[in-house]
Amino acid sequence: MAPSKSGIAFILDNKITEIDFSANDSFKPTTTVLNYLRSLPGHKGVKEGCAEGDCGACTIVVAELDGRGGLAYKSLDSCLVFLPAIHGKQLITVENLAIKKGKEIKLHPVQESMVKKDGSQCGYCTPGVVMSLFALYKTHQNPSREIIEDSLTGNLCRCTGYRPIIDAATEACGLDGRDHFSENEEEIFSTLQNISEDKTSIEIYNPEQIFLKPFTIAEAIRLRKEHPDSLIVNGSTDVALLQTKKKILLPKILDLSAVDELKLIVEDHSKIAVGAGTSMEELLQFCETRLPALATILKVFGSLQIRNVATLGGNIASASPIGDTLPLLLVLDTKVRLLAPGRQRELLLSDFITGYRKTSIEADEILALIIISKPLKNEIIRTYKISKRKDLDISSVSACFRLKSDKNNNVAQIKIIFGGMAATALHATKTEDFLLGQSWSRETVEKAMEILYHEFSPISDARADEESRRIMAKNLLMKFWIETQESKNHSV
Amino acid sequence: MVKSETNPNISLQHESAISHVTGQSAYINDMPVNDQMLVGKVVYSKFAHAAIKSFNLDKARNFPGVRAVLSVHNIPGANQMGPVIHDEPCLADKVVNFAGQAIFLIAAIDEETARHAENLIETEFEPLEPILDIETAILKNSKIGDEKRIETGDVDKNLQSSMFQISGTLRTGAQEHWYLETQSCVCIPGEGSEMMVYSSTQHPSETQAIVAEVLDIPRNEVTVEVKRMGGAFGGKETQGNHVAAWAALLADATNCPVKIHLFRDDDQIMTGKRHRFISHYRAGFDADGKILALDVELNADAGAATDLSLAILERALFHIDNAYFVPNLRVTGQAWKTNLPSNTAFRGFGGPQGIAVIETVIDRIARQLKLDPARLRQLNFYQTRQNNITHYGEEVENNRLPMIFDKIISNSGYFRLREEVEAFNQKNEFYKKGLALTPVKFGISFTTSFLNQAGALINIFRDGSVVVNHGGTEMGQGLHTKILEIASKELGISHNQIKVTATNTSKVPNTSATAASSGSDLNGMAVKTGIEKIKNRLLTLAAELLSENHGGENSSPENISFKDNLVFDSKNPDRTISFRDLISNAYFRQISLSATGFYKTPDIHFDKIKGRGRPFHYFAFGMSVSEVLVDTLTGYHKILKTFIVHDAGDSLSEKIDIGQIEGGFIQGVGWCTSEDIKWNEKGQLLNHSPDTYKIPGVRDIPLEFHVELLKDAPNHSTIRGSKAVGEPPFMHGFSVWLAIKDAISSIGNNRFEPDFQIPATNEVILKSIENIRKKIKS
Repeated sequence: MAPSKSGIAFILDNKITEIDFSANDSFKPTTTVLNYLRSLPGHKGVKEGCAEGDCGACTIVVAELDGRGGLAYKSLDSCLVFLPAIHGKQLITVENLAIKKGKEIKLHPVQESMVKKDGSQCGYCTPGVVMSLFALYKTHQNPSREIIEDSLTGNLCRCTGYRPIIDAATEACGLDGRDHFSENEEEIFSTLQNISEDKTSIEIYNPEQIFLKPFTIAEAIRLRKEHPDSLIVNGSTDVALLQTKKKILLPKILDLSAVDELKLIVEDHSKIAVGAGTSMEELLQFCETRLPALATILKVFGSLQIRNVATLGGNIASASPIGDTLPLLLVLDTKVRLLAPGRQRELLLSDFITGYRKTSIEADEILALIIISKPLKNEIIRTYKISKRKDLDISSVSACFRLKSDKNNNVAQIKIIFGGMAATALHATKTEDFLLGQSWSRETVEKAMEILYHEFSPISDARADEESRRIMAKNLLMKFWIETQESKNHSV
Repeated sequence: MVKSETNPNISLQHESAISHVTGQSAYINDMPVNDQMLVGKVVYSKFAHAAIKSFNLDKARNFPGVRAVLSVHNIPGANQMGPVIHDEPCLADKVVNFAGQAIFLIAAIDEETARHAENLIETEFEPLEPILDIETAILKNSKIGDEKRIETGDVDKNLQSSMFQISGTLRTGAQEHWYLETQSCVCIPGEGSEMMVYSSTQHPSETQAIVAEVLDIPRNEVTVEVKRMGGAFGGKETQGNHVAAWAALLADATNCPVKIHLFRDDDQIMTGKRHRFISHYRAGFDADGKILALDVELNADAGAATDLSLAILERALFHIDNAYFVPNLRVTGQAWKTNLPSNTAFRGFGGPQGIAVIETVIDRIARQLKLDPARLRQLNFYQTRQNNITHYGEEVENNRLPMIFDKIISNSGYFRLREEVEAFNQKNEFYKKGLALTPVKFGISFTTSFLNQAGALINIFRDGSVVVNHGGTEMGQGLHTKILEIASKELGISHNQIKVTATNTSKVPNTSATAASSGSDLNGMAVKTGIEKIKNRLLTLAAELLSENHGGENSSPENISFKDNLVFDSKNPDRTISFRDLISNAYFRQISLSATGFYKTPDIHFDKIKGRGRPFHYFAFGMSVSEVLVDTLTGYHKILKTFIVHDAGDSLSEKIDIGQIEGGFIQGVGWCTSEDIKWNEKGQLLNHSPDTYKIPGVRDIPLEFHVELLKDAPNHSTIRGSKAVGEPPFMHGFSVWLAIKDAISSIGNNRFEPDFQIPATNEVILKSIENIRKKIKS
């Protein structure tokens, strides 16, 4: 048997905290960081507003080794993160920001600005807002309004109307970014490094629950083989909902979030290979210039708190029909690489996803790599997403278009994939067939819109009704056509 | 010489701001828990309408860790928690009338145990036909209350004789409050029948009454305390009572402290929302666009019980005129009973639903006559010397509409913006801009006149520190901050010498809800009268003390002033004594340093039968201009600019008031755009979490956002010349709503009236555009 440990270690309140799950009946390995913190006497600032990562009242910040000899500060929704996810990290809560000396309280600059700019009214969302601002403070100096908004998209406030919060962010982040955390960084760094040197897998075997957290790919493959019925999680932003919303106790979990070998992005002239454990935020940063069509989608993917932990592997392997990245990845003939003991295979993403939340993964395989073919120079690729609220919302309809036209402006090749129109992301084959060989003109597109309108039979649900989905689908084709004409329109 | 210690232009920050940002501010769910505290769980109906044939609680009761499982048969007192009309059972009796209705209560050692116990309850239902919309309720004549009617002039004659007539129907949707803190309560049983209730309620006195009723004990056995709420917006005016009643029943049954903190989805499923309305209107107008006659029929979806529906409907009737003089006006209203959670108070309280109708009428007239809608609004505004009597007979006094209109037209550069929008729309096919100016005139006072009363308790301690307690509750709106400001100014002492403590029914009894925007108007006055009582007791002593050690004339009690922590003789300002020393002296002279304050709003009355009277103490006014950009292919919109000019009288706190205006506006925008509520065919709520229910986020606010308080327009006979500011700004959201409509309308060059409703989600926008495009083709 390989050596293993059953506990985790992290820094909280400037001290190393260890939790041994085999000896602890207060906390399960799937206890969320939110519930853990709220069970402590001094950490009731963190709030549960929705238990699904939509409101951000539970936002906390973790400082983790950034792999470049420093610390990275990341905001995340503590309601969606299980305790083992903070192993080897510093957990920072709203109570850690101000410094108390006797009766004197020295507020952190972000707190100071929130007070000065009237950023709080009822105060319930405020600790989460403050933590998002703290992460912004630690990562950006003089951020643009776009960056400020992006860092606050995951925080709902029902009282203020946000303007004072944006003002607070602008003021605080105009400072030099230093604070009392900066002074301790070296010590924190070396403590975290000490914890992380031990690559022994965490294996918790409790009567009700098994939780496995390997640190190397070899261990991941071993544990997957030994526990083929385990549920693989990474950022756990989707899986956690089974527990927080549906109240299902997850019996067996294999957590791959600490396997650094799965976090990589490499590219050559024709391909981009993304490790399954790469966070959406890292991928977004990479794609902004190199694959804008993917960046378009990632910018409206969840919130920063979600993107900081959610992974591309998770978005694909969950095989949700509204997985935001799927239409584009399918259009780009993306392949996935699966690893198993002593073997590996590559297959097309379209063969990997077999149905509503179903994939063809074998019981001993793990999804390791997503290989995206780069678009060719003479192709135009665009992605779209329509949701009720533009940000932090699940799409009513999403789409990706890939066009190659010949020198006579006829359609030489067209691929159209929609999400939200059927049980899985699907090609609009009738529309594609119609368009192929036709002149890429407005007249053709208008005819194609009629075909597209009738091509799918979408459902009516809480997000949109059938009729609206049909209109959205056909309109997106027009939108794509306009963009291929490079008309200079404003974007909303 | 006495100098002012604070710059009057810098207003006080929220009194809890530092606790908020440091995470120290405590809410019900943050209260320290001892190991006896039990978790309360509410078991509710999945059926919108069903008979309860039988149930068996034995297995649940016998499950280890379960301390009580209660049904309707285990309520010691009345099975009732309706605030006005007693038609709302505390626990379902034989029948359930909406999905989300409480049937059983469980107290257990933890949540998991309570959940297990819930699964062990066996209940047999016989589903019955539910009524799930207003149309069906009308067909089945399923009413709540009688028709309400207010009428002035001869509507039928003037409708007929008008040169132009329009008619139509407007649908306005429900809205979930989405307070960040869900409904919560901790009940701690005491000696005998005593019950201590820590509640997140806007109405502690009513919570006290309902708890007393279900437990069958007098109200003096029940103490309700409210430190603060994590948002309320009307959603805790009556709905907080429910959770308190349930927690009290469980605490009583187990003799242990019990906490109920609703899970977000349960909260959204169980509690009432803003009333949906279907409103039919007919209007007659002349060639200038002057409205000559208006006939409106309002239909409100009350849900399964009365709750506050009749008062909400009444406020909709009162606000059907908004800012406009309509010489011949008839408005009728009916609340309809459906199998949905009983709808309830929500910021605006029916006002927005009424105002949306006349704003639609004006918007349509402008389109039909090809007039600028802002000019048309101005033409129809109430005037100052004539045409200033509302349809219910109240004069619009101190009309601020003309000055606000001038101000906002110049602030926003409205007419220049109008030209820019038109030029943009000429050039762009798929992106369209829209512009709208909308006004609000909002009546301030509870329309049930006797509710306009408030109390306060002022205690001064021997060290000169002061506790102020009043009947209002703090839900983030900054009431305690305003009270602190008032007390500080009245007592002439620093803010840090005063503490505004948690609202508590044993300190100030028989209070009204903190609602109808009235919190600071009523409680501020009560605090002032209480302070005046104590100050009056101190005057003679102060004069005596100030005369000591000074030659010349003795100081006279009527010249005593309180300022800057000093008490001084305004005739001889060098004669001073510190406030603290005066208080210390007063104690030894056996002068009472405690007083109650009381206030009732004067001169308000309303005859509900005749539909005439003066229901409002005054009106608050404001206007907004918004410019939006609509992507006609996706239905997305972006608010490019919003300008607001709002009348808060002499603001008690500019920071707090601006916060209310901005927050209210955004909440109004949410109702008008993205906050969409759908039920399935069984009457089950589909949007029961923020996953599918979309309140505005940080990117939904205007790119440019200018808010200004109207200056030099003090109010009369209110605390320090101020005006209420909680609800009126909600209506500024209409400028965004109608700007979107304006953008849609431009697709057909304003030749076609766009289909429109509230909320204008991108679904509604896309379908409306689709229809206009079809009309253009045909």
